[in-house]
Amino acid sequence: MASATDSRYGQKESSDQNFDYMFKILIIGNSSVGKTSFLFRYADDSFTPAFVSTVGIDFKVKTIYRNDKRIKLQIWDTAGQERYRTITTAYYRGAMGFILMYDITNEESFNAVQDWSTQIKTYSWDNAQVLLVGNKCDMEDERVVSAEKGRQLAEHLGFEFFEASAKDNINVKQTFERLVDIICEKMSESLDAADPAVTGAKQGPQLSDQQAPPHQDCAC
Amino acid sequence: MSEAVDLSFLSDVEKDLILQVLQRDEELRKAEERRIRRLKNELLEIRRKGAKRSSQRYSERTCARCQQSLGRISPKANTCRGCNHLVCRDCRSYGPNSSWRCKVCTKEAELKKTTGDWFYDQRINRFANRLGSDMVRLSLRHRSAASKRETVGQTLLQKAQLGDPKGSSAARQKSPQEPRKVPSLFPDASDPQEGKSDTESMENMSLDGYRPAPAAGGGRRNSLDKATTIKEGKQVAAPSGPVAASLTLPLPSRNVLSATNGRETLTGSRSSTLVNEHEAIFKKNPRRVVRPTDYTKSVIDLRPEDFVGESSSMGDRSKSVPGLTTELDEEEEDIDNLVEIHRQRVARGSMRSGTSSSTLGSMVSIYSEAGDFGNIVVTGGISFSLSYEQKTQTLFIHVKECRQLAYGDEAKKRSNPYVKTYLLPDKSRQGKRKTTIKRNTVNPLYNELLKYEINKSLLLARTLQFSVWHHDRFGRNTFLGEAEIPMDSWNFDSQLEEFLLLHGKTGVDAAGLPQYKGELVVSMKYIPSSKHPGAGNGRKGKAGEGGELQVWIKEAKNLTAAKSGGTSDSFVKGYLLPHKNKASKRKTPVVKKTLNPHYNHTFVYNGINPEDLQHICLELTVWDREPLSSNDFLGGVRLGVGNGMSNGQAVDWMDSMGEELNLWQKMRQYPGSWAEGTLQLRSTMAKLRP
Repeated sequence: MASATDSRYGQKESSDQNFDYMFKILIIGNSSVGKTSFLFRYADDSFTPAFVSTVGIDFKVKTIYRNDKRIKLQIWDTAGQERYRTITTAYYRGAMGFILMYDITNEESFNAVQDWSTQIKTYSWDNAQVLLVGNKCDMEDERVVSAEKGRQLAEHLGFEFFEASAKDNINVKQTFERLVDIICEKMSESLDAADPAVTGAKQGPQLSDQQAPPHQDCAC
Repeated sequence: MSEAVDLSFLSDVEKDLILQVLQRDEELRKAEERRIRRLKNELLEIRRKGAKRSSQRYSERTCARCQQSLGRISPKANTCRGCNHLVCRDCRSYGPNSSWRCKVCTKEAELKKTTGDWFYDQRINRFANRLGSDMVRLSLRHRSAASKRETVGQTLLQKAQLGDPKGSSAARQKSPQEPRKVPSLFPDASDPQEGKSDTESMENMSLDGYRPAPAAGGGRRNSLDKATTIKEGKQVAAPSGPVAASLTLPLPSRNVLSATNGRETLTGSRSSTLVNEHEAIFKKNPRRVVRPTDYTKSVIDLRPEDFVGESSSMGDRSKSVPGLTTELDEEEEDIDNLVEIHRQRVARGSMRSGTSSSTLGSMVSIYSEAGDFGNIVVTGGISFSLSYEQKTQTLFIHVKECRQLAYGDEAKKRSNPYVKTYLLPDKSRQGKRKTTIKRNTVNPLYNELLKYEINKSLLLARTLQFSVWHHDRFGRNTFLGEAEIPMDSWNFDSQLEEFLLLHGKTGVDAAGLPQYKGELVVSMKYIPSSKHPGAGNGRKGKAGEGGELQVWIKEAKNLTAAKSGGTSDSFVKGYLLPHKNKASKRKTPVVKKTLNPHYNHTFVYNGINPEDLQHICLELTVWDREPLSSNDFLGGVRLGVGNGMSNGQAVDWMDSMGEELNLWQKMRQYPGSWAEGTLQLRSTMAKLRP
């Protein structure tokens, strides 16, 4: 089993208080779709082809500068394996953003997206934002899930969509930055909504609260 | 899932790895919590400067923030849409599209972003379209809001650190009411004290004798699971069908299993059930319901009898125990009296708040409190440094020196100064520390160490007060000045020497400014009559009877200690203004010996029409129960539209603002859904200062 946790994370992360916002992000998806690699690419700009299964949960911290704000991201990497599910779902609560990942060379991981999205709806808080990511897009030869299919599913679920590659560093940064942007948008929106107008609260629920369609008919 | 995350299936290596991750998370969270405290303090400071707070008073025509006269301006165009105050141009912040808000509201919004409260506070139930009655129970279980930022990591870490001996699960199952002692998931985890963070111990306090392993885990559904697990054996399937029943069944067999498995724990047994459920959820989201046995509720129904029957049919909530309310009735507190007292205090306090920002800055202020001491022109300052030692839980105050003190004995031009400290609000003898007396100097050099043994989380809620006194051997000691530092904004990492200017004495209460009285966590729901759960079940509720307002008093945090030993026996009282009488009075049971009580009690008000919500105001006050004398007021909130009007009349009590106002509006916006808020307790129920 993996014993890498202690060595691969530095100590510096918790000390820095020099930021404006703190967002918590969770990466979920089937086992071996590349969640950990994706995170490592983003946080450390490193990549190891060897597969080391994540034990339960793990996280990294990265502070970025976005929209004139310093935003500290605590990015949780979750184990895809079913046996850790009780631990990982516990972290859905409190996560402001999700990266739901599948592997474009693995049909099963794509088929599971629906279930993962149900998990998000079950365990996460409202206002949580989700991006769908098809990882390993460098492996065009072994592709079994077309980009179009991914896009369609994302649209159906009400998520934004990226294809990416942790190995070749394609769309990794973009994915996180987009997610951060969406969270920022949501933040402004929710504060505006919470702002009671003098005339009485006529704003009503935001439509975008239901960004994900209520319940799906498909894929079982 | 809920707090009952079972890690017993993990190998020791896996546990170690996860524990490490959790510890890193813990550190991060601690740092974050400190940052948030600091930020919130800044806001309090700003609020304090803008003295005008409550509903509009157009007649006064002054800016609510800087008190400048506004002259002849149209109220409409100059009202901040955040707080409804008239605000001058200088006190505004313009956003994009030229909308603006006053600086306090802007700061508040900014704070919500920086603290993440925008996310953590806004948890309107997305399952609102489910069967209402199910939702009631479901959300009633939802205690996790206790600490909105809490992560499952805290839970696990805590369990690990509790380090309970294994094998006590049998006893545990007999007494699920002692949930805290959940056996360790990491039996080999070392020192139970060592890693305990301040936040965590704060958590522990709130957990005392109440919660099972603390909340955590994923979302509202938790609440349910928790219920199942806590009260196992006692739980009763609700009448909403087979789904509910299926939940209870697996438990017994699991228990057997757990008994045989040496390290199995109650938690373990629960969560193996949860795993199963979990799978089920994953597939089809079953609805599960349990009876909330640990939930009490007092309903004083204003409607006719038959309708009461109607409402009781809607659910299996344990209803009002009449004794509960009557029992408490005898110690009727005289709030008006208290309001009066507090008004006076506030008057004093606000006198100061007008000058507060300058007192620290100016070298001079007058101390003139009737009688006791002479009039002294306060001068000079004090230099000191602070450090906190985790291991011994001790605050060290190094009092270095004072400079340029006033003369205590003006005639002889001499001072014999000493320094006294308190950790406010504790002004008891036990909480007093003094330096030695230095003779005949206005620049005394002490270099003395004053110590307080205090848990860090408690410490953060205190304000360190220095006061300097002239010791007069034959007469009274003379006050030479004082200074305060709220501990939650102190950076304990820095042990640098600080120099604070002394200022004059102000009202006793003003010492702890800003007056932080703790917080109340409340969830509210308005159910319009058509959406009434009774109707949802196919039995039509009587039309035109109005809706139901449910006020779920969850918990309070960081209350002021009113009893010796640093605790309070508190309860919450509610009135639905304008009716301040028995009919609208509700009380929670008393929760003893804690400053972080979990009431978990719901007040229900019936017969309320949607349009009434514009005119009524919910007043919640927290009291320390003092059986032999009058109860002590610990703080309160008012929830309403905050426009100063009710049914066309100007009223004092319609003065909600900020979070109070937000919560009320949120509740109105989403009928049938719980709107939850963490409200700062007011230190007085006098009308917020205009």
